[in-house]
Amino acid sequence: MSAGTVVVGYVPGPRGQAALLHGIEECRRRGSRLVVVNTSRGDALVDERFLQGAELRSLEDELAVSGVEAELRRPMRGRDVAEELADVVEETGAELLVIGLRRRSAVGKLLMGSAAQRILLDVPCPILAVKAPPR
Amino acid sequence: MALLLAALGLYLILDAANIAVPGSTNQVGPRFFPYLIGGVVVATGVALAVRVWRGDQGPADESEDVDPDAPTSWREVGIISVAFLAHALLINVVGWPLAVTLMFATVAWALGARGIVRPLIAGGIASVVVWIVFVKALNVALPGGTILEWLTDWF
Amino acid sequence: MGALGDLAEGFSTALTPQNLLFALLGVLLGTAVGVLPGIGPAMTVALLLPVTYVLEPTSAFIMFAGIYYGGMYGGSTTSILLNTPGESSSIMTALEGNKMARAGRGSAALATAALGSFVAGTIATLLLALLAPTVVDLAIGITAADYFAICVLSFVAVATVLGASPLRGLASLGIGLYLGLVGTDVLTGQERFTIGVPQLSDGIDVVVVAVGLFAVGEALYVASRLRRGPVQVMGTSGAWFTGADLRRSWKPWLRGTAFGFPLGAMPAGGAEIPTFLSYATERKLSKHPEEFGKGAIEGVAGPEAANNAAAAGVLVPLLTLGIPTSATAAIILAAFQGYGIQTGPTLLTTESGLVWTLIASLLIGNFMLLVLNLPLVGVWVKLLRIPRPYLYAGILMFASLGSYAVNADPLDLVLLLVIGLLGFFMRRYGWPVAPAVIGLILGPIAETNLRRALAISGGDLSVLVDRWVSRVVLALALLALLGPIVLRLVRGPRATPEELQEAGTLQRPVAAGRDRGDDGAEEDR
Repeated sequence: MSAGTVVVGYVPGPRGQAALLHGIEECRRRGSRLVVVNTSRGDALVDERFLQGAELRSLEDELAVSGVEAELRRPMRGRDVAEELADVVEETGAELLVIGLRRRSAVGKLLMGSAAQRILLDVPCPILAVKAPPR
Repeated sequence: MALLLAALGLYLILDAANIAVPGSTNQVGPRFFPYLIGGVVVATGVALAVRVWRGDQGPADESEDVDPDAPTSWREVGIISVAFLAHALLINVVGWPLAVTLMFATVAWALGARGIVRPLIAGGIASVVVWIVFVKALNVALPGGTILEWLTDWF
Repeated sequence: MGALGDLAEGFSTALTPQNLLFALLGVLLGTAVGVLPGIGPAMTVALLLPVTYVLEPTSAFIMFAGIYYGGMYGGSTTSILLNTPGESSSIMTALEGNKMARAGRGSAALATAALGSFVAGTIATLLLALLAPTVVDLAIGITAADYFAICVLSFVAVATVLGASPLRGLASLGIGLYLGLVGTDVLTGQERFTIGVPQLSDGIDVVVVAVGLFAVGEALYVASRLRRGPVQVMGTSGAWFTGADLRRSWKPWLRGTAFGFPLGAMPAGGAEIPTFLSYATERKLSKHPEEFGKGAIEGVAGPEAANNAAAAGVLVPLLTLGIPTSATAAIILAAFQGYGIQTGPTLLTTESGLVWTLIASLLIGNFMLLVLNLPLVGVWVKLLRIPRPYLYAGILMFASLGSYAVNADPLDLVLLLVIGLLGFFMRRYGWPVAPAVIGLILGPIAETNLRRALAISGGDLSVLVDRWVSRVVLALALLALLGPIVLRLVRGPRATPEELQEAGTLQRPVAAGRDRGDDGAEEDR
């Protein structure tokens, strides 16, 4: 592979959008390939973080017009986001992973743990963490 | 399945003959209805067996969380059955909340929940909350186990 | 005092703050549980039945009324937003409703379903109130032989109408009848089929059977074929219910009610047939037939009204004759029995206050649902994010709670597991579960009346066809038994929902009977 790869962990909403925009920007700057990952554990009947229908199509459109070589992956194997992202990063030999962060209260962090923290610890490449632009 | 049903019908008819009939009753005693049902069940069972043998596959039940194309996985059915049986036998020994916590965690694990600690904690919290609501607020009789009953004695 | 006076009395009991609270609790619980995947109204009522045992009868039945209607609302919400009809009577709602949601008309679909359910539920409940005393007057004159004939008709109708295969329905019914036999014979005090287990001499508790067949059986079945992956949730954004929608909806509401109530009240009851009929009618009468299959509002309004009207219609034979014609009704009858209340034609006189309070609560609950349901849709959808392992573990926890609470005997839980495994195998091999529950409840009633009739006649079987009432009813039963077989020979297999909807509008073929519509997730994956 001549050019490197940038992986984006995508979730619907402003923080996912921010991650995507930064990912595209990085790809342009580095001339690398973009791999967008949108995953679900798939263990509940409803998971809003997993793109379907109109949302999925609009993301595909966005990737198509971004001007970079882009690929969308939607693994669903009952595994955590951190594991899936680490897998993709390892497999593609990515040079950068972009994720979106959200604000959490102290109690929220205590109860739910943090997916972002697990990603930071598990993923072997450098990580760019971005926040949703303030409203 | 159909043959088992026919067997159930035969059992109904045969065992109905063993039902004691008090001498004082008139002709229609406690045996009549079982004979009737037994007859219907045998007939249905045989007819169904013939249909199935001829290749009539029943449409397996569908449900929101069922993958209709998946093969039956007996492992989960086995684990859950054993877990449920164990909890039934444990209730009077260790109390409902603890027995249910173990059952809950095993079932959740068998169905693919991650880790061991999280299902245990979830089951523990859920069962204790349910126990407190039903026993303390609604007066349902559920053994709580020594520790929990002692802890909540002041209610 | 006429029926309306009695009803006013019922309202005065039901409108106390405490009872309103129970109604609210029932409505919320019913909707919440009804929304959850894999749990239909019958299972909702079965799981929550033991909860009501700790209350005094009036409060318990007020709560029950809320659970009953709430469960139906919950089902229609998920049908529209997720295209997952929990039971056959929601299939039609899902067909058009989900298409509407896909086209950005989700809130209009929910609104016409909620308003239609409210209108139909209110009209049908009022009809129930007006008709019940008349039916009771007629029913007072019927003999034990007539009563037995009506039971036979219900058996046959339930076995052949519910589910895709009449033979399997009969098989399921037979199992239920057998389970109803276990225990001590009420007339002679002899033990039957207790296989030497002392606890069985009291009979098998209805709660254990219902919870076992529905909850444990379903959990095991889901476990054996666990679906992975989420389905697509449709937003509730988009245009609100407009005047044009109302103009297109109100006639289907009324027509749906007209189908639902009488068909629900018949011994061959259930809500499946009236929703199919309503859908077919609306399709035929619509000025916009081209919209059907793409999200026609009439296709949601009619079936949803028919569904709720049928739910009220089912209560007519239940409250006036003590005959349950759906699994849910059978469990409500069990609740009456649990309180030691004698059901049958005398119920309306002996428990007048209770029955009218129940009817008034149905009206109140219906109104609460209308007010609460739309604002709370977001909450219900959040409930669906519970991971499946925890959801089914939780269902088993409540199954354990309810069955253990009845007698505080662990043996009941072992029995629950055995019956749960039975329910699993029945699902696995396509046997409908509902006839078993009805057989269990109605079997002993049928036997008592049969033996009473034969005791009066001195064992002469001709007493069973002595009167015109029994002759007509038994003839109908024979018709219901042989009808499907003859029709099958003449016309081929029975029409499926898809045939009603016309070929080509569905993306995925679905088998006959109690199946779901096409799965929104599949096409996007």
